[in-house]
Amino acid sequence: MSITVNIHQALRHLINNQATAEVNGTTVGECLADLVKQFPGIETKLFDKKGKLLNYVDIYVNLESSYPEELTKLVNDGDKLSITLMIAGG
Amino acid sequence: MLTADERERYDRQIMLTEIGEEGQEKLKRASVFIAGAGGLGSPAAIYLTAAGIGRIRLVDHDRVDRSNLNRQVLHWDNDIGRSKVESATEKLKKLNPEVEIEAIEETITEANLSELLTGFDLIVDAMDNLTTRYLLNKAALDNNIPFFHGAIYGFEGRAMTIIPHKTACLRCVYRGVIPEEKFPVIGVTPAVIGCIQATEVIKYIVGIGELLTNKLLNYDALNMEFTEFNVKKDPHCEHCGHMKTTG
Repeated sequence: MSITVNIHQALRHLINNQATAEVNGTTVGECLADLVKQFPGIETKLFDKKGKLLNYVDIYVNLESSYPEELTKLVNDGDKLSITLMIAGG
Repeated sequence: MLTADERERYDRQIMLTEIGEEGQEKLKRASVFIAGAGGLGSPAAIYLTAAGIGRIRLVDHDRVDRSNLNRQVLHWDNDIGRSKVESATEKLKKLNPEVEIEAIEETITEANLSELLTGFDLIVDAMDNLTTRYLLNKAALDNNIPFFHGAIYGFEGRAMTIIPHKTACLRCVYRGVIPEEKFPVIGVTPAVIGCIQATEVIKYIVGIGELLTNKLLNYDALNMEFTEFNVKKDPHCEHCGHMKTTG
């Protein structure tokens, strides 16, 4: 299944300065694994050493928060994933 | 009741059918607590003062630094070294002497926050760190005070409106922590987000329009895109999960 992933600005340098990437998978976790396979440099910006999504990374599927399922959330062909990072500046 | 001077000052916004004289009186009766007199606090405070909020309390422990001046537009070159709230209050009082502006030079802590909020109807989150934002979120929920969140990083900004007991709170959306750090920013980003926060406050007070509730607005200035992410109240939220939902 083809899924488009919108990548947060701060991570785009890790995917050849692209704003989006095309991935395959049936869950959020599989899509992110495919993203990491294509762009290994992004792995440590998304996951901790145990493979858990970092707690300042938020994933949205078609603009809906994927929490609490997160990595197990199912996706469908044509869905759009957004990877965002928490920001706190003022 | 509005005075003749106030009717003249607010003439153009009283003209708006959504506001009118009744809405202007609501703004006059309102009291807004602004946490932070920096990049977000400056535009939020300027536009709330100009709009005729009755009473504003500005809280910030910091002093003006030269490196603040690219974005914290209430502070000017000759303010370097001054207390931010003192510098801000001076400008805001000149902008609109009808508004009661109160400056408090203090660090917001868990211990003093309830007292600082006493008597205020609304909270604007114009902080620069997540720890204090979480404190404000919790205090807003505990005291049943609407909370208007804003945050920026570089060319990106976020905004969200939280109505206690009714909508998702900041902790429903953000569960993690990020270290306090020197963040990159250009002044136009907090200008946009601070104005969005002020707009939300005005809409809430007057009772008009659609609020940014259960939505996290993301502003991407580089691509001039606004995206609304839908968020839900988390039944297990550390801050609001135990609270009964109404409305």
